[in-house]
Amino acid sequence: MKVYVNHIPVDVLPGMTVKHALIHAGLLKEREVSKKVYDEWGNEVGLDGALLEGMKIYVGNAKSQAPNSK
Amino acid sequence: MKRRNIALSLTLLFLFSLPFAYGEQVQIRILHVNDFHGFAEPYQPLRSDERVGGIAYLAARANDLRKEKPSFLLSAGDMIQGNNWANLSQGESVIELMNGMEFDAMVLGNHEFDFGQDVLGKRILEAKFPVLGANVEGMRDLKPYVIKERKGVKVAIVGVVTEDVPISTHPKNVAGLKFISPIDTVEKYIPELKKNADLIIVLSHIGHPVDRILAERVKGIDVIVGGHSHTKVERPVKVGNTIIVQAWEHAKALGVLDLTIENGRVIGFEGHLEEIKPQIGGEDKAALAIVEKYKQKMDAVLNERVGETEVDLDGENVRKRETNLGDLIADIMRHVSGADVTIINGGGIRTSIKRGEIRVKDIYSVSPFDNYIVAIKLTGKQVREALEHGVSAVEDEEGRFPQVSGLSFKYSPSDQKGSRIKEVLIAGQPIVPDREYIVATNDFLAAGGDGYKAFGEAIKASRDFSIIGGMMKGEKVAYSESGRWLRDVVVEYLKEMKKVAPRVEGRIIEIY
Repeated sequence: MKVYVNHIPVDVLPGMTVKHALIHAGLLKEREVSKKVYDEWGNEVGLDGALLEGMKIYVGNAKSQAPNSK
Repeated sequence: MKRRNIALSLTLLFLFSLPFAYGEQVQIRILHVNDFHGFAEPYQPLRSDERVGGIAYLAARANDLRKEKPSFLLSAGDMIQGNNWANLSQGESVIELMNGMEFDAMVLGNHEFDFGQDVLGKRILEAKFPVLGANVEGMRDLKPYVIKERKGVKVAIVGVVTEDVPISTHPKNVAGLKFISPIDTVEKYIPELKKNADLIIVLSHIGHPVDRILAERVKGIDVIVGGHSHTKVERPVKVGNTIIVQAWEHAKALGVLDLTIENGRVIGFEGHLEEIKPQIGGEDKAALAIVEKYKQKMDAVLNERVGETEVDLDGENVRKRETNLGDLIADIMRHVSGADVTIINGGGIRTSIKRGEIRVKDIYSVSPFDNYIVAIKLTGKQVREALEHGVSAVEDEEGRFPQVSGLSFKYSPSDQKGSRIKEVLIAGQPIVPDREYIVATNDFLAAGGDGYKAFGEAIKASRDFSIIGGMMKGEKVAYSESGRWLRDVVVEYLKEMKKVAPRVEGRIIEIY
């Protein structure tokens, strides 16, 4: 299953979560230092949140990173 | 004149048959939670200065909000599995809590299946509220939908869960069950629900992105109360004529959606999330009593004896050499997954166990992380690369140092990084570079944790995940059970073994 972390494609197993995608992208430590994770609509998502095929998530200090954020 | 009288009579008859006065506005409140995962007590997230959540505080807030207007309290799934408070009673604690809080309905989440169908069946029977799963075929006592009434407004609540359940839990947990497309299922039920209700709420455990697709594709849904993606939807989203909400995770928020209804139609809405934080005196006493009761039970379970070790189990040296505790855990993982070999990170083992009785809490201290077993097919070349990476920072005693089962290797710590591995034997035979071996590991390494790349490369090459012979398979994936923590697997194994005496066997040999 492919998902995108800050536009970078990452392959994860079904059942894996946001946490695994961040580990794969080498960004979990950034998450640990208070950066939050957002979906493409700018909603914050939890580290245990389910991933879905093609899902786009963004790690950053501002949710404005997410393209469809309002 | 006669015709006019008939028309008038029919109009009056129609108006009186309406469940509420024609033209009258009715306010209904929907309170919702999702992905609680048994986080009953407040906790302090990593790098945060404050504690958040706490189900007793959420219950108190829900009670206050319910007093203001006719309300529903709904759960969008993944309630009974996750935190020890839930796991150690296999979700019984959560259902007792939800009964006490007077939930009106919940939909099954994928993790509701993690304790198996027998346990889930018991939990459904214990629930004093309907448990929904319209797209699950073969599960007894599950309802597709329920119709409830508030102030004369009939509200249909239909529940759907992700169809990925069979690939996110152990296949035995869903044997004989069929998971139909949630979107097709809701579409199928809409005409029937429209006949019998004024409003249609979909209680969904399919994730926020799919909720949006559902709203786009299926007309006639008034509200989707979502879960699964742990999304903090701070204000309700409207897609077409459908309102979508979701309340984050772990009882950190209570979702509030106020609907204004006129003539059976939603004519206005306002919603927000109430973030839950512990406050002195702000808890619901009845909910707190249930939390405390199961905390005490949890302490009793943690003190339960699972077995005995005839030797000290070394969890101190796992970052620099083979240890008997590393061997034991790696052996258990290989046995449970049916893999050829195991490679895990020593850093995943956090403490030692003294000779004598082993209690549940000892295993939980050794393996405190929410890790689960994954087995992936690697070539001999990739196994060797993984081992090279594992020993590449032994001088710094980093957590990547491997503990293994089913293989042995020699390495030279004084050689250059990347060329330290000298000999690898699998089942006593030299490793074959282009042969595939099934390698058990944990989900952390499988995702590339501690810098391990070999597993990720294999996952990348693995396509077309499906259930074959009762097991989730991809081209390179042989085993994955995301709902069962490694520590619980070890506890169960030791209960069966009763007594262990593992010794260092020369699986990892330093040479100079």
